[in-house]
Amino acid sequence: MTFLGLSARNAMRNRFRTTLTVFGVAIAVLAFIMLRTVVWAYNIGVESAAPDRIVTRHKVTFVMWLPKRYIDTVRQEPGVKMATWASWFGGKDPKHEQEFFSTLAVDAETYFDVYNDCAVKPAELAAFKENRRGAIVGDAIAKKMNWKVGDRIALKSQIFPGDWEFAISGIYTATRKSVDRSTFLFHWNYLNEGMPSSTKDKIGWIVTKVSDPARTADMSLAIDRKFDDRDTQTLSQSEGAFNAGFLGMFTAVLKAIDIVSIIIMLIMMLILGNTIAMGARERTQEYGALRAIGFLPRHLAVFVLGESFTIGVLGGIVGLALSYPIVQLGMGRFLEENMGSFFPYFRISGGNALLAVALAVGMSLVAAGIPAWSVTRLRVVDALRRVA
Amino acid sequence: MNQAYRADVRPMVRVRGLSKIYERGGEQLKVLSGLDLDLAEGTFEALMGPSGSGKSTLLNIIAGLDRPSAGSVEVKGEDISHLSEGALAAWRSRTLGFIFQSYNLMPVLTALENVELPLLLTSLGGAERRKRAETALRIVGLEQRMGHYPRQLSGGQEQRVAIARAIVNDPAIIVADEPTGDLDRQSADDILTLLEKLASEMNKTILMVTHDPVAAERAKVRHRLDKGALIT
Repeated sequence: MTFLGLSARNAMRNRFRTTLTVFGVAIAVLAFIMLRTVVWAYNIGVESAAPDRIVTRHKVTFVMWLPKRYIDTVRQEPGVKMATWASWFGGKDPKHEQEFFSTLAVDAETYFDVYNDCAVKPAELAAFKENRRGAIVGDAIAKKMNWKVGDRIALKSQIFPGDWEFAISGIYTATRKSVDRSTFLFHWNYLNEGMPSSTKDKIGWIVTKVSDPARTADMSLAIDRKFDDRDTQTLSQSEGAFNAGFLGMFTAVLKAIDIVSIIIMLIMMLILGNTIAMGARERTQEYGALRAIGFLPRHLAVFVLGESFTIGVLGGIVGLALSYPIVQLGMGRFLEENMGSFFPYFRISGGNALLAVALAVGMSLVAAGIPAWSVTRLRVVDALRRVA
Repeated sequence: MNQAYRADVRPMVRVRGLSKIYERGGEQLKVLSGLDLDLAEGTFEALMGPSGSGKSTLLNIIAGLDRPSAGSVEVKGEDISHLSEGALAAWRSRTLGFIFQSYNLMPVLTALENVELPLLLTSLGGAERRKRAETALRIVGLEQRMGHYPRQLSGGQEQRVAIARAIVNDPAIIVADEPTGDLDRQSADDILTLLEKLASEMNKTILMVTHDPVAAERAKVRHRLDKGALIT
């Protein structure tokens, strides 16, 4: 028998109340992890962006076109290893109108060289390059839509009218967390052929792979300077900055989610504090007896803090155990398949898991602070007289 | 023998000129006034008196749970009136055993663990603590109930566990506040027999506060308090 062992057994004295409190803490930990994972996963596109890629778009907005010939100018810039381009297609499967996934028209020859973090089997990539109507899709969207290599798919676009038919040539997987595994990629040439003359030979943006990742800022400026005196000026940014700009419109929402996650933990702390205070009050006479037989005020404080610590640890562990199936396997899979553009990698980070448990334990000790202090102030004779 | 103190023998507990005054709402309430009392070593003594007579206050002061407003309390020749809170707690753990009316056992601990509890404050190892707790439970006749929790014991058995807890650290003095107050007559009788045995065979000085004249009759020495003064 030890002091902490005794505290742990005290925590189990009122099993019903302790169980409810442990689950209260666990739910708070689960909610905290869920919200923090939303923020973390949203920012992963910025944090895990390739350091050696630059995205060049129209200076005004990325929905405006660039002339396709710009790619040749970019490729001539010293320090550029390779460059490719893409255009937003805005496609939807008419049989599944509610399903959202990114559809991009890309340069089949170079896209997977620049995006070498999208892994495609060589044979599938070769088949894609040979077939003008070929498409390569992410493994997440393929799984969700039950697409297989060889399937024929018809898409409609909100931007480009007509029926667009494709054959799935391959499926890519991601080797980087920031890669959206739900994108549908097809030949830009196929799109360009169907364009009216006003929008022919236009591209959405250029992606450049540079030799020296440390020089992306200088290189971005250098690329933009090339087009300063043209009709269409450009804005070049590192992939991380580009992703941040794309996601930046939700910054306020993310901040709010962050704050709510902390508020949830504070509420948990108050509930736990109340439980501990009730327990301490019920045991006043017992604490008086312990003091009478020689225990010191600090021993009683250890009992109270130890009890709260036990509940905090149990709640943290249960919350963490619930989080993996609910947040990672349930919510995470759903978001990766359905909102891959925003949440390409929705997983519980080690940091968030650790922070949640540390907060649960830390706050459980803070919550017990006042009850612990109160029991140290008890006068033995008053405590022995008191009946809870 | 039924007297407050004897001048010829050095007592285990020596109380002199003891007064206790409480302040309640600006008013002074005198609970004990200039009280002298000696408790001899190895005697079983009872403290009786009506409610509000000051017997629990006197017991608390002798036990180092409360402080006198004036006067002194010497236990084994040591004046405890001026000890700090920490020193008093340490003194209680090595000198005193407590028996409460409502037992005050921890429900999450077995009988053995409850008895072992005061030994957590010592430097004894787990095995030695356990051995001593087993011995104490054997003395009170509960060796068959060591693994039982308080809820699995009768009131008399719970009080015997409390007595084992009170003697486990081999204290010189045992103070008992209405130890038979919650018990039926037969159980009370057993407890009083045990207390007699602790005084006569183990040389413990026992001071018992009781309302029950039958219980008081079992003590070797009886003191009666009324309005804060010893009258017999």
